[in-house]
Amino acid sequence: MFIVQQFKMWIASLPPDILARGLRIALTVLGGLFLVRVLAVVTQRYIMRKSTAQRQMIARKAISYTGFVLVVLAVLGELGVKLTALLGAAGIVGIAVGFASQTSVSNIISGLFLISEKPFTVGDVIRIGTTTGIIQSIDLLSIKIRTFDNMFVRIPNEKILNSEVINLTRFPIRRMDILFQVAYGQNLSRIHELLAEIARVNPWSLDEPQPVIIFNDFKESGIEVLFGLWFTQADFLELKNSIMKDLTTRFRSEGVRFATPNRTIQVVEGSLTA
Amino acid sequence: MDKTGTAVWDRIDISVRQCVAWRFPARSIWVERVDNEWHVLSLSPEGWKGGIRREPVARSQKPDSSHWRHYLHKEVGPVQPVPVLPDKPVVVRPDRALTLLPGQAALFFLEIPVWFRLCTTVPRQLKIFEEAIATLTKTWFGDPITGELCYGLATRLHQGIDSVEPSAYLAVCPLSITNDSDTDLVFEKICLHVENLNVFRSSRRLWTNRLNVVFRGPDQGTQIEIDHDAPGFEKGLTLFSEARQPAAGWNIRKTFGILKSFADF
Repeated sequence: MFIVQQFKMWIASLPPDILARGLRIALTVLGGLFLVRVLAVVTQRYIMRKSTAQRQMIARKAISYTGFVLVVLAVLGELGVKLTALLGAAGIVGIAVGFASQTSVSNIISGLFLISEKPFTVGDVIRIGTTTGIIQSIDLLSIKIRTFDNMFVRIPNEKILNSEVINLTRFPIRRMDILFQVAYGQNLSRIHELLAEIARVNPWSLDEPQPVIIFNDFKESGIEVLFGLWFTQADFLELKNSIMKDLTTRFRSEGVRFATPNRTIQVVEGSLTA
Repeated sequence: MDKTGTAVWDRIDISVRQCVAWRFPARSIWVERVDNEWHVLSLSPEGWKGGIRREPVARSQKPDSSHWRHYLHKEVGPVQPVPVLPDKPVVVRPDRALTLLPGQAALFFLEIPVWFRLCTTVPRQLKIFEEAIATLTKTWFGDPITGELCYGLATRLHQGIDSVEPSAYLAVCPLSITNDSDTDLVFEKICLHVENLNVFRSSRRLWTNRLNVVFRGPDQGTQIEIDHDAPGFEKGLTLFSEARQPAAGWNIRKTFGILKSFADF
């Protein structure tokens, strides 16, 4: 009985328009978020239908973040919070929060640089350090990539801005460089001819630009050869696998020997003395 | 049945459980009709010297392969093999570097390998499948950033049609080149957008539209005009297959591979 009485007293102490205000807040939250969601989807699917995935994503996020802030401000206004005082306090709080969240702010600023500089876009294949994958999204704090073995990797924007990023799909064609060594004492002209022929008959190697064949260096066990083949992005795996097979098969059938680590020890008679 | 000339492209009625093979120098295509399905096998047999022909194949002699493809189709009636030009531009490398002096014009005949397309005829023409019947290399025309992927074709530039051996799988492309610049036109390769060309047929040969190319200088675009009528070098030509992408009027494109500015180490 005591609890019921207390509850009735609490109800009686509430302002008379509390129910209407609560309803308005609920409608503002639900309606506002629904409207933001609809606006983001319509913009992405219809208004920016022909834009790149990257631009669609930026527009969707800009609408979502702005809409969310507006909904929060509307709710605060409904609760009677004076926004001018709140914004004044926000300056002081902002400084405190800024000190505490330097990394996040750095990531946000780096993200803005990345979005404006556009070293890559959604769908590109990039390599950062030892991680290679397809970009899923470029957000204010980080980028998300999916690696080829289907792992999700989040990389902070600040790290990207400070690292070397290789965009593997920026240009339509690339060159695959294969380095290997052939043993000393073989006919290099014949090896050059063989490599040119291997490249010519491979269906995934472009014949223009012409393949690069360079006898690069004298190494400890043999002569280093650079064999570079041009290909279109889609043919990477087929070329990689087929060219390795072609190289070993043709070299074996033509009697060309790859270099293997070896040591030649010459013992001169009488040079070993106790 | 041995087929000479372009008769290999004649319409044929393949009844249920009948298998037919089309033989070309670098590719053989087997087609079998099984109820509502077309079973298709395409192979590159080495050392085929039987010429270009279409022949019925006993079911027991069908090649045993895991590469048979099945196409579901409810249309009945005869099928029409159609020669179509490749789906990408072809970069033609003449067998010898050619120089056209300023103000000069020349007419050449090129041979372009066609693709094999099989279509239904009744009640409408629908593509069942298509296959390249000659292997062309892949090549890149232009710089590595803005160029385009093409097929490469090393061929002879014939200066008269008499030297072109009639073939059922090589379409003859008449190419007229005019050097309307002050410089020599030395071309080692030329990019032809064959996807804009029709294929015409006579009893002996396949033809494409005639191309008129006007070179105005290395810094200018090259004007290309496609003659929409059948080429007038042989009588009785009929339109056999339409271009994949019909071209409208004059085009200005980079056509000649003159600048060699990339692919260095």
